[in-house]
Amino acid sequence: MSTLATNAPHVARTASFALRTTQRLSRALLLDRSFRFWVDELAPVASRAELRARVLSVVDVTHDVKTFVLAPRVWPGHLPGQWVPVEVEVGGIRLRRCYSISSPPNDPHVELTVKRIPGGRVSNWMHTHLHAGDFVRLGAPSGDFVLPETKPTKLLLLSGGSGATPLIAILRDLAHRRALEDVTYLHAARSRRDVLFASELARLSSLHPGLRVVLHLDDASPRLDATQLWVLVPDLAHRETFLCGPTGMMDAVAPAFLGFEGRLHHERFVAAKPAAAASGAGARIHLGRSKRTITTTGRGTLLDELEQAGERLEYGCRMGICNTCRCAKRSGVVENVLTGAISNEPDDDIRLCVSVARSDLTLAL
Amino acid sequence: MNRTLPPHEIDAFGRELDALRQEVLDQRGQRDVDHIRSVVRTMRYAEAAGRLLLHVGIDPATFALGTGALGLAKILENMEIGHNVMHGQYDWTHDPELDGESYDWDMACAAHQWREYHNFEHHTFTNILGRDRDVGYGFLRVTSEQPWNPAHIIQPFVVVGLAFLFQWGIGAHALRLDETIAGRQSVAELWTRARPFLAKGARQLFKDYVFFPGLALVNAPRVALGNFIANGIRNVWAFAVIFCGHFPEGVRMYHEQETRDEPRGAWYLRQIHGSANIEGGRLFHVLSGHLSHQIEHHLFPDLPACRYPELAPRVRAICERYGQSYNTGRFRAQLTSVARQILENALPSRARPARMH
Ligand code: FES
Repeated sequence: MSTLATNAPHVARTASFALRTTQRLSRALLLDRSFRFWVDELAPVASRAELRARVLSVVDVTHDVKTFVLAPRVWPGHLPGQWVPVEVEVGGIRLRRCYSISSPPNDPHVELTVKRIPGGRVSNWMHTHLHAGDFVRLGAPSGDFVLPETKPTKLLLLSGGSGATPLIAILRDLAHRRALEDVTYLHAARSRRDVLFASELARLSSLHPGLRVVLHLDDASPRLDATQLWVLVPDLAHRETFLCGPTGMMDAVAPAFLGFEGRLHHERFVAAKPAAAASGAGARIHLGRSKRTITTTGRGTLLDELEQAGERLEYGCRMGICNTCRCAKRSGVVENVLTGAISNEPDDDIRLCVSVARSDLTLAL
Repeated sequence: MNRTLPPHEIDAFGRELDALRQEVLDQRGQRDVDHIRSVVRTMRYAEAAGRLLLHVGIDPATFALGTGALGLAKILENMEIGHNVMHGQYDWTHDPELDGESYDWDMACAAHQWREYHNFEHHTFTNILGRDRDVGYGFLRVTSEQPWNPAHIIQPFVVVGLAFLFQWGIGAHALRLDETIAGRQSVAELWTRARPFLAKGARQLFKDYVFFPGLALVNAPRVALGNFIANGIRNVWAFAVIFCGHFPEGVRMYHEQETRDEPRGAWYLRQIHGSANIEGGRLFHVLSGHLSHQIEHHLFPDLPACRYPELAPRVRAICERYGQSYNTGRFRAQLTSVARQILENALPSRARPARMH
């Protein structure tokens, strides 16, 4: 055995020890913040504190859909059908949304295809303010809306509207792997000008005889529902179906799968539902960390309710001043009883002592 | 002199201030983030320039400049950035660099201890004798309502010492040493509180007097001295701003009974009568971390501090309408007033009626 080989693990261990020591020292001496500042100042995409991606280009897909082509500093890899959390800063506030990745894993870049949602803060901001050369922050790709390891022999990729984004990634991946035998790609769009990836679909179907592309236009034919689906895909029962679309469309086609629900895989990508229980009573609070669920009585602030339920929480003033009771709300709607302000953004920080539930909640507790 | 408000006026008063607060909450956005980031940027450049000048220079001019720049950086970091960020004023941005819970500042006080005693105790129980330990910090007599003891005779000298060592005073305040001396806190408890303080203090000392001087090699003594002076500049400045915000004449003290079950309006009133402002220009305000607007800070500790200057005239107008005093003055006047308080209260009170009641 050569000396080099015996020394290699030793060297690696020493290097990682040195790195860890440097990190601990810089934290202890409060130099880490300064270091991050200079990275941000001089080379923002190089940040190691978070994953950032440079926007390479922005492509118009339809009148209200754009594709953002991103070059992340490093990319952990993703499976076709997965989504990635994207963080942008809108009016000084960092907001986070999850977008399906529309590019296949073999693509050197990461593509996000984003529809401009009326009133949607992030999508509108991205459409107007995000340009080539800017950067966005990304989380880790995730999601289990993915094909099984061996491709099902008969496949239906069924999408409505911008629900096409994870499915196009799956389709592109299959095309790349030359595995497009017996695949039906059915896409429902409002009208012809709303069809996503139209020319690419046409090209793929002319190249791959095994691919059947069916477009369903709402303005030209009856609404897509279970009956319609059977008409368009007569061998539905024999197909493994991957479905993604707006809630209304998904609910309308769901009865078609009666008796073989196991073959239906779906992804809901709609935003959190609006405020449910206006009185605050009976809302369910999921505590993400302790995996507990508590039902509110509607009689007090979240701090009171959680304490009544036996949670021991940190607090100080109990009047919204000291910030001790701060907690991250992962999802749901709360109202600040002092100000009446409504928080419905995911990942908002709330003060438990002055907040009441206005829907089911998930808290980082 | 303050008019005594009947309950319905106290409520109306509170509602007016709530409305101001809401107005800022509704507008909070890009402007505030831009402000704090530009202060952070200025601070980082000043820090880098200061260190560079101290480390590579050899002449007195670069020493003075470098020390000054470093002192400026420390002031900005502690006052406008650290203090305000740690109040959670920028938590809504979700920017981890501006996150109040995880921020740690460049001074001897351990951040989490400060968050507890300052954000909670001081801002909730402002000027309630026996509850707000910031009233004289447990060893100074800043109001005639505190009992006198012979040790207060030397307090004018103690105060000067405190000014130069202010960061250590702020850090040690979390220990409640006075309570242990009075037998109200066990030594074990004291030790629990002392550990984070000692750890933070040791790290700061190591950084300022071992680490950075070490990097400067032959320039080590120069760098150590520069750090020492920069820390001192920051200490004296912070001391002056904070004493002027809390201890000039006319600032009212409260007893616990009168604040029991106090409605929000009365809580606001207490914040106003328990603080004092310092007048000055924009630069002065930023350097003070906007604690020159101590009144607005006490009313709205979690609103971005850069909003205080625009809130101040409106708060003052509301106070005027309700016949409430609003303590403000030039820096020199407030300092003189604080000095007079410290000197007067060093001696036992003559029998005189309590002011401002
Ligand atoms: S306990 Fe003080 S803000 Fe909630």
